[in-house]
Amino acid sequence: MAELQYLQEQTFKNFSNWITHSEIANGELTLEVDRHYLRDICFMLRDKPKYAFQILVDVCGIDYLQYGRAEWQTESTTGTGFGRGVKADFSEVEVKWAKPRFAVVYHLLSLENNHRLRLRAFVDEEQPSIDSVVDIWPAANWFEREAFDLFGIIFKGHPDLRRLLTDYGFIGHPFRKDFPLIGNIEVRYDAKLKRVVYEPVNSIVPRILEPKVIRHDHRYEGEQKRD
Amino acid sequence: MGMTDFLKPGFYVDSFDNLVDWAQSGSLWPVTFGLACCAVEMMHAGAARYDLDRFGIMFRPSPRQSDVMIVAGTLCNKMAPALRKVYDQMADPKWVISMGSCANGGGYYSYAYSVTRGCDRIIPVDIYVPGCPPTAEALVYGLMQLQNKIRRGEASRRRIIAR
Repeated sequence: MAELQYLQEQTFKNFSNWITHSEIANGELTLEVDRHYLRDICFMLRDKPKYAFQILVDVCGIDYLQYGRAEWQTESTTGTGFGRGVKADFSEVEVKWAKPRFAVVYHLLSLENNHRLRLRAFVDEEQPSIDSVVDIWPAANWFEREAFDLFGIIFKGHPDLRRLLTDYGFIGHPFRKDFPLIGNIEVRYDAKLKRVVYEPVNSIVPRILEPKVIRHDHRYEGEQKRD
Repeated sequence: MGMTDFLKPGFYVDSFDNLVDWAQSGSLWPVTFGLACCAVEMMHAGAARYDLDRFGIMFRPSPRQSDVMIVAGTLCNKMAPALRKVYDQMADPKWVISMGSCANGGGYYSYAYSVTRGCDRIIPVDIYVPGCPPTAEALVYGLMQLQNKIRRGEASRRRIIAR
């Protein structure tokens, strides 16, 4: 814990103009950075011996559209479980999220100093884009392609920003919270055309398979006291 | 018509169709189409404990050499045209075994945006093996059901009429 606080102080001293927020939660340090200075921060985090974050563990996107909103408001799970096939109704729940909708998160690891660090950069909702870090950590290449594929975040300066996972010619970004779970198209073999054809989804209707219930999370409570 | 019939002395008379059906059912060569965890159970069925070789079932790496396709795992939309292409490359007569819930009807991913809700939307299926994943025994049972189906002559004759 002391090391984390030292890291927090150091980063705050070095990057105070570029960091909007920093916090230690669940035994990890998170820095919220201004996306315009992301590359400056990344270069320094990698090259300064004090940090030496040589390894980029993960890059991912986040969509906060339905953050903190449960599909079932409940105090406890009942013995009989939940009703099934009920349409979600978010209208009564107030939105607590005041920050931008999309964010990009970078997980860094320093083997030399045995440090881990998380960077979170919020991006514009209308035109989500951020500078690529492929030339800083080559590992970012496919991670950024994945985030582009699933969230539609543009990584400026990426050498080959194509879709990574979804189908050829796929339309939409499936990890966005407003993307329908059942999707927009389905496939079938057409015996007359002698090829696989795409059609609008008509064999299923949307339904909630697993209701999202938010309960008080006390898994990490012990950790705060331990240190 | 089983192996024991040939152990009796004398001669044996049957239709040529039955002989062909018997021969085909005794040397099913599957093209492996392992897509997910079902493929691991398929490997179990092929390995020493269940040993599909003793049924004359030997996995082939090429569709050109195969009689039966075992669709083992989740078929995604992106993979569907490739599945059809491999099926089209197989020589007639050919059969298909759909292994596991995902291949049978989408299974766990039935409501997902990227998964084909059953491989029978892409290719005609002869035998459905239920389970998630099915055990190796279940797959062996499914293969034996396919052998029975071939020996009854239903599968191949229906195909010829349909063509």
